[in-house]
Amino acid sequence: MTIVDAATHPPVQNWPDAVRAAAQLLVDMGSAASSYPQACVDVVHEHGPYIVLTPGLALVHARPETGGVRMGVAVLRLDRPVHFGHETNDPVDLLVAFSSPDHQAHVETLSHLARALGAGLAERLRAAESVGSLRQTVKEVLDAD
Amino acid sequence: MSKAPLHVLTVCGVGMGSSLMLKMTAEEALRALNVDAQVEATDVSTARSMTPDVVIGQGMHTQEVSDLAPIVVTVSDFLDREGLQETLQQELAAQGWLP
Repeated sequence: MTIVDAATHPPVQNWPDAVRAAAQLLVDMGSAASSYPQACVDVVHEHGPYIVLTPGLALVHARPETGGVRMGVAVLRLDRPVHFGHETNDPVDLLVAFSSPDHQAHVETLSHLARALGAGLAERLRAAESVGSLRQTVKEVLDAD
Repeated sequence: MSKAPLHVLTVCGVGMGSSLMLKMTAEEALRALNVDAQVEATDVSTARSMTPDVVIGQGMHTQEVSDLAPIVVTVSDFLDREGLQETLQQELAAQGWLP
């Protein structure tokens, strides 16, 4: 069972703030520990902005050992996009954060997510007119099975 | 084409999120090309100890493992199946791994 949530966010100063805000949703819903948001920022400092998978979208995550408690997915849509310093995929307005308790639990959820993104999920998230419909969209996708 | 499945590695920094998404895109692309392949997602440091036929990842990672495999493919959009399929087709054909 994957816990999901979604939110929109007023303008943030920079990508670390955006990443922390997205991961904080996971903390708030009890699927990650308070150490997790900073761990997600550290991943980018350490490995580069590769989490920006596709134009406009970042997959915010860190190793389970750094604070993953349960399988959770949270979508944060920014009112004003941020730049990660990615060569081709900036600017980013959608952050999809996930947490996993181990190195296996997320595989199925992420495969749903990959399929949904391939079928236009990002556009639907951008078009959602309220936080409620944003949340509903994420729920539909991840409870699909 | 060789008989054993093509060993393909998708790489990223942590080895569990982005590389997994890329693995799914790569599996679809290879299926469309009719290539028998085993695709594994991993982080860059683990990848260094492996001997794959193909490595796929973002430039910031593939440049670290550029001599790991006969084919190293750099992609910037992990969800672009058609783009990846086209690149793989060219690269695999150049190695004689496609009819």
